[in-house]
Amino acid sequence: MNVQSKKPITAAEQSLLDRYSERRDALQGDASVTELRDGLVHDFAQTGLPGRRIETWHYTDLRTLLKSAPSDFSAEAGASAKPIVPDSIVLSARNDCQDSAIPDGMDVSSFKELLASERATDLLASKRSDDFIGRVNSMFVDGGSVVEVSKGAKLEKTIEFQNASLGGHLHTRMSVNIGEGASGTFIERQIAAGKTDSFVSSITDLTIGKGAAVTWIISQERGVSDTHLGQINIRLGEDARLTLFIANAGGHLVRQEVHVTADGENSDFALRGVNLLGGDSHTDITMEFDHLVANCVSAETLRNVVFDRARGVFQGQIRVAQIAQKTDAKMACNTLLLSDEGEFFSKPELEIFADDVQCGHGATVTDIDENHLFYLKARGISDSKARAMLVNAFISEIVEDLEQEDLVEAFENRFSEWLAQHA
Amino acid sequence: MPAVQETIDQVRQIDVDQYKYGFETLIEMEKAPKGLNEDIIRFISAKKDEPEWMLEWRLNAYRRWLTMEAPSWARVEYPKIDFNDIYYYAAPKSMAGPKTLDEVDPELLRTYEKLGIPLREQEILAGVQESKIAVDAVFDSVSVVTTFKKELAKAGVIFMSISEAIREHPDLVRKYLGSVVPVTDNYYATLNSAVFTDGSFVFVPKGVRCPMELSTYFRINEKNTGQFERTLIICEEAAYVSYLEGCTAPQRDENQLHAAVVELVALEDAEIKYSTVQNWFPGDSEGKGGIYNFVTKRGDCRGANSKISWTQVETGSAITWKYPSCILRGDNSRGEFYSIAVSNGRQQIDSGTKMIHLGKNTSSRIISKGISAGKSNNTYRGQVSAHRKATNARNFTQCDSLLIGNNCGAHTVPYIEARNSTAQFEHEATTSKISEDQLFYCLQRGIPEEEAIALIVNGFVKEVIQELPMEFAVEAQKLIGISLEGSVG
Repeated sequence: MNVQSKKPITAAEQSLLDRYSERRDALQGDASVTELRDGLVHDFAQTGLPGRRIETWHYTDLRTLLKSAPSDFSAEAGASAKPIVPDSIVLSARNDCQDSAIPDGMDVSSFKELLASERATDLLASKRSDDFIGRVNSMFVDGGSVVEVSKGAKLEKTIEFQNASLGGHLHTRMSVNIGEGASGTFIERQIAAGKTDSFVSSITDLTIGKGAAVTWIISQERGVSDTHLGQINIRLGEDARLTLFIANAGGHLVRQEVHVTADGENSDFALRGVNLLGGDSHTDITMEFDHLVANCVSAETLRNVVFDRARGVFQGQIRVAQIAQKTDAKMACNTLLLSDEGEFFSKPELEIFADDVQCGHGATVTDIDENHLFYLKARGISDSKARAMLVNAFISEIVEDLEQEDLVEAFENRFSEWLAQHA
Repeated sequence: MPAVQETIDQVRQIDVDQYKYGFETLIEMEKAPKGLNEDIIRFISAKKDEPEWMLEWRLNAYRRWLTMEAPSWARVEYPKIDFNDIYYYAAPKSMAGPKTLDEVDPELLRTYEKLGIPLREQEILAGVQESKIAVDAVFDSVSVVTTFKKELAKAGVIFMSISEAIREHPDLVRKYLGSVVPVTDNYYATLNSAVFTDGSFVFVPKGVRCPMELSTYFRINEKNTGQFERTLIICEEAAYVSYLEGCTAPQRDENQLHAAVVELVALEDAEIKYSTVQNWFPGDSEGKGGIYNFVTKRGDCRGANSKISWTQVETGSAITWKYPSCILRGDNSRGEFYSIAVSNGRQQIDSGTKMIHLGKNTSSRIISKGISAGKSNNTYRGQVSAHRKATNARNFTQCDSLLIGNNCGAHTVPYIEARNSTAQFEHEATTSKISEDQLFYCLQRGIPEEEAIALIVNGFVKEVIQELPMEFAVEAQKLIGISLEGSVG
């Protein structure tokens, strides 16, 4: 399925290969890590960037979309932006310039240390032949954090990890392990701190232990000419609960991958996504969910608003293994396509091998409902105001699922601001 | 929730080992040598007495095919096909030249009798059959007979085998052949363009409503042969035709290839209804034998207000790879796709549709029901796409699948592509969303939810199936009772 015959090398491909040659010896890691990186570079030289013939990249053809890659590497930016939720604990995703106090029950160390250990080679391998993000990140990654939340720890304050780009290459990896019965709210903030033209890959490996309850938020706020390739790999233990909230409002070429494996029974996973797309941007959310055990619940709802010449992609695949009986999986992707030059592609997939399950998906694409608009206008509200209200209402429904008041308020404000600038 | 007993019983009745049409007709055949090369193509073309341009067209397709690779994106698995181990032409020996029914080999007539296909006009007229249907019967590589030709000609309708049409109406064929499915469209369509042997040609002139149902019955009989039929249906302005296709094959241990191309052209205000009951031999319960069904079907709503509707009931074939599509080019044109696909044994189905919205105010509707049992895999793959200038494009898609047993798989792969803000697409695959109003109406009257859902869906399916003529609807009818309980996407 994923074969791609050899094509002429693109400028971006050449640039990535050149950067690796330059950087190779300065990268963190022992000989086994270097060997692994060399292998990935070799694979990359063979396969190149994924194009439309690779099924999982059909709508995000990097061979044509990624015109070039920067020639320099980003300086360390640290964590400097104001947190989304006031009174949060702010940490740098790269574990540099750490000045906030780490709360009890949580331990943070540098991914650099991990790169020097034996575990590194297991983490860095690329998952599959079409896992370009895994490959490019493993080739270049040299910073990040390793987070351990101990058994039973209840983190009261929101923890915000900032991964700030300053132009140039930025490749970050976070490895997060939430212990049994622990709980907490985490924000992974992908921000642009200054000049743009960044090329970012950021991977988070998140393991949620038995009975743990976590809210994980990815807020992507890159600059208008940045490329952001994100990936989150999640393992859900028995009775684990995770709400993953993805807010995309920024970047030029963005792909966020979500890979979830439910390998403990009775887990509960909810994905809520808001994609605000404007300008000439291209934003892709690709999700894969593997139900490997029985009695798990998963529900995904995405709301997309497309302005200008933006292009959006949603690919969601739910796989239910033969033994995963009584699975309850729902997926919905609703899009407001507000511009005649905008585009949206959705591909909600189901792959089911168990006979006693409830799985469903729905996908809609439409403009603002004329009846709704008429209702508001008949009450003396101007056209532009009425439209803004309806778009806000469309997103708010999702934001409210965050439940925590401070989070709901923070994101509602963020989205209103973005909409005010773009509508 | 698991399937109810009623459904399980009904699906069992059409299980692979219940295949009724697996007999073989012993008849002397004339075959081209095994294998595929330019000489075989020349041989086929010469057999059919084709003009030079047709041979060139075929050779051109063959040369292109040599440079192509077999598609691998579908969710089906099969060993590599040895295209040189197939007979590309096989015809009953007695079939030299066109025949009237009296001249047709009685053995062949008996075959069609056994299959329940009416070929004798007088019997049909005498009321043996309920409805009047004109049939083109294709046996391996040739058309055996086409009934009611004279009566249809009176109305101006041309209905004949494509080989005859190439000889008798070369201009019409040349104008439309390959205009919907280009020669180089895909691997199997290109192969078909090179080696197609027979199929049906229908031309309904301006303003004519075809006076009866037209139908083609395809039968693969000979061992190691491939059937490559080509069907071309053209409806001129404001014309209407309803066309049915049926197919069966003997029970054999080896796999046989069926790679057909069907092209439909609807001009302004025209309407084409195309129905299929696909019942090729599905292989035995261990997956031995069966037909590989790699088919390209596409309709082009070329004129404004035209309409093309595909209805398919799929129960046969070891592998089905088939996506009857509509190109909605004319303004206000409409495309429909209704499908019931049942897989059993080790069957693999990867089927669905494409609705390509190009004109303004076009609409399409997709209703797909997949039922998998045994160790089969059943995939719905559908694309809905609205181009930038296709303002007010409208689509509604509903696909439901049901699994019976724990060794089969049901998959849904929709591709939804919107390129302008006036497009309105809805895709749903949950039972709870089936017209809440209707459901509420039934529930209110004390009908339990499951029965109510079955009632609503079957009401719809029935409407479609009942339009098929009886003899083709035998299999389809059995499916009517299948309810939609425990639906999974």
